[in-house]
Amino acid sequence: MKSLFSWFNDRTGLGDWCGRLADSPTPGGACWCRVLPCVVAFLFCVEAITGFFLWAYYSPSAQTAWESVYYIQNEVVGGWLLRAIHHYSAYVLLAVLILAVVQSILARGYRAPRELVFWVTVGLGLFALAAVLTGDLLSWDQNGYAATKTRTGFLTFLPWVGDSLLKIAIGGPGPALGSLSLTRFFAMHVGLFGGGFMLLLIIRSALARRANVKIVEGSSGSRTVVPHWPAQAWRGAVACLLALAVVLALSCQDGVKPPHAGAPLLSPADTNPLNAYDAARPEWFLVGVYEFSHLFPGQWGIVPIFIVPGLLVLIVLAMPFLGKHWIGQGFNVLFTLFLLAGVAWLTHHSYAKDRNDPAHQKAIAVELWRADRVCELIRHNQGIPPGGALSLLQHDPKAEGPRLFAQQCASCHNHVVPGDKREDLVQNFSSELPTAPNLAGFASRRWIAGLLDPKRISGPDYFGGTKLRGGDMPGFVKETFGDADAEQKKNIAKVVAALSAEAHLPSQKTFDAGDAKTIEEGRKLIVGDFGCTNCHKFHKSGSSGSAPELTSYGSVEWITGIVRNPASRRFYGKLNDRMPAYAAASDPAQNALTPEQIKLLADWLRGEWYEERNDE
Amino acid sequence: MKNSTSPCCCRSETNGKEHNRRGFLGQATAVACGAVALATPTVAGVVTFLNPLRQKSQGGQFMRLASLETIPQDGAPLKVPVIADRTDAWSRFPAEPIGAVFLRRSGGGVTALQVICPHAGCSINYDAAGRKYFCPCHAASFELSGKRTDATSPSPRNMDSLEVEMRDKNQVYVKFQMFCVGTTKKIAQA
Repeated sequence: MKSLFSWFNDRTGLGDWCGRLADSPTPGGACWCRVLPCVVAFLFCVEAITGFFLWAYYSPSAQTAWESVYYIQNEVVGGWLLRAIHHYSAYVLLAVLILAVVQSILARGYRAPRELVFWVTVGLGLFALAAVLTGDLLSWDQNGYAATKTRTGFLTFLPWVGDSLLKIAIGGPGPALGSLSLTRFFAMHVGLFGGGFMLLLIIRSALARRANVKIVEGSSGSRTVVPHWPAQAWRGAVACLLALAVVLALSCQDGVKPPHAGAPLLSPADTNPLNAYDAARPEWFLVGVYEFSHLFPGQWGIVPIFIVPGLLVLIVLAMPFLGKHWIGQGFNVLFTLFLLAGVAWLTHHSYAKDRNDPAHQKAIAVELWRADRVCELIRHNQGIPPGGALSLLQHDPKAEGPRLFAQQCASCHNHVVPGDKREDLVQNFSSELPTAPNLAGFASRRWIAGLLDPKRISGPDYFGGTKLRGGDMPGFVKETFGDADAEQKKNIAKVVAALSAEAHLPSQKTFDAGDAKTIEEGRKLIVGDFGCTNCHKFHKSGSSGSAPELTSYGSVEWITGIVRNPASRRFYGKLNDRMPAYAAASDPAQNALTPEQIKLLADWLRGEWYEERNDE
Repeated sequence: MKNSTSPCCCRSETNGKEHNRRGFLGQATAVACGAVALATPTVAGVVTFLNPLRQKSQGGQFMRLASLETIPQDGAPLKVPVIADRTDAWSRFPAEPIGAVFLRRSGGGVTALQVICPHAGCSINYDAAGRKYFCPCHAASFELSGKRTDATSPSPRNMDSLEVEMRDKNQVYVKFQMFCVGTTKKIAQA
């Protein structure tokens, strides 16, 4: 065995080189205070190894990036853990580098001949920062997209070169990011900042060892000198294990089952400016800068983003020379402590502000809901269609209906669902002065019962905000049902059931099937005693022109019709208050809503969407 | 004569000049060839990397955005998407939202405002309760006219207004453009 080793060592010199490394002197003895560079090297190796295996799955294009990350997170065994380790090791690496720089400043670790070692450590921190910033875009989720779009937008603050730099960074004329942004960021993440980090690490190691040798020579025996191996090495190894424990704890903080375990993945990025993610915020280490930038009015944006951070870095780089004199060192220490305290305070202040901002919290809740919903839809579809995961959400009534409603309908209509499930944040729209009916549960028995309730028909949920509140229908309801006795109330219930049955609402399928007799009696009342058909058309009785048709009231076809043109003879005709026609023109380019959008709205209003627990 | 085989600038006693010249020529050849060899892929790479500088942004023509009736009567704004063909690298997506505009009835006509915040490019929202515009990124707020609510706003200028034309009685046409962020003056993007 030994001869094999010496054969190999003769030709490579590897054994000798390892021996030299192991013997490299540690002036001042082995110490826990020297473990940080070892942890940095270790975490870089973790990033390189996990990065390589993630690279074997990741696909950087706008159509495949999120999808490939979804695959890693949810379908690859252990993928969520691999991704989580990569994600959280980056943050721990950044924190350790900041600690190492601060330690150098406070302990004057940058005294000659270690100035270059200090500078390279600062350089490592900057490269790690750049790697994290480029890595954030790669999952192509709403947060990464919004944050990167804002950050690259800052480049335009730079005079002369700003606009060109932006185009180069995002790979196109903008403003939306695209596939080329992903490929560039990926190339920079792995090649430039990953590879560069490794190079700097090697350089730092060589410089540090050389400096140690010089220190040992200079001290000529007055300090204890211990070989690196094993005393310093085992301390470093234990520190690495501790760092790993922190990474694993962060990775498992949300459990061990995907999609929630590990690193977060929000819904796929939407380049449509209408759907921008409102609650996008920078990562924890940049929140201080974000909050700091609020202190500056708009045209001075270049100051908090480029000038101040640039100056701070220059001051830190100058510290080895400032620190030569005790006044300079005093300044260095005070400056560092003040900076840390300031950033910590700004960070805390920003998080507290966001925690107490209901609009911000709502935007986060809606986005978390969408992230869950897209996973639900993918499972239902048994995979992701060629249009990408975003297309699943765009064609989902539960996800897209509320968005269309918010854009087109919510300025007049409310949609308030009774109850307090988390989803109501997504589905509820309310304002103080609605000028149109509350459409939650439209055409359900509950809704129609409220319409025919003399106490509620002129209220804000029905005609109250419209110009018809003093019109024929409220008048009829108040007169006819004003003092209803028990018998009359039963009849009203029959009519409610009959009318609601016209809609064929999925939530009432069993009721409608079981109440066939009641519905039949209700229909007779509609065309008979109640006299509804005096104004309304209902199947073969009555005629349109003075009131909306009640045939198939609340069905997809009926809702489509009234949204297309509420002023048509079939619906409100000349009585139409102010609801616009959303698709009345024959030229589709002139219509506010496409047929597909109207169907999504109608399906949403009727509760007609896929629900995972309903396995039907 | 003794020929020196040392590669560096040699000075033998005989033929000194000749050896210097040959040595120099050798060095020059090595440097020049090496530089050309190394520079070629690097220049090729950098030139291709800078290709996006040649691309121009979209916009500048009048586009139909909405019918007049769909814009609320009470002066509240309507956020409408700007639909156009979108090109992303090698892909072409027909009829996709590439931007958004706030349309609002004002003074007998219709005004249009860009939703992109002049501060850092986030999408501005309409706050119905407060009847003003609000940007969620850095809390800039604007009045319905697009004017900044206070001079210390994160935004360097008011919201960018766009030209509006009414055609065919009730069709609202807007000249959609993108403007540079972070500047006090409204400058259209090239």
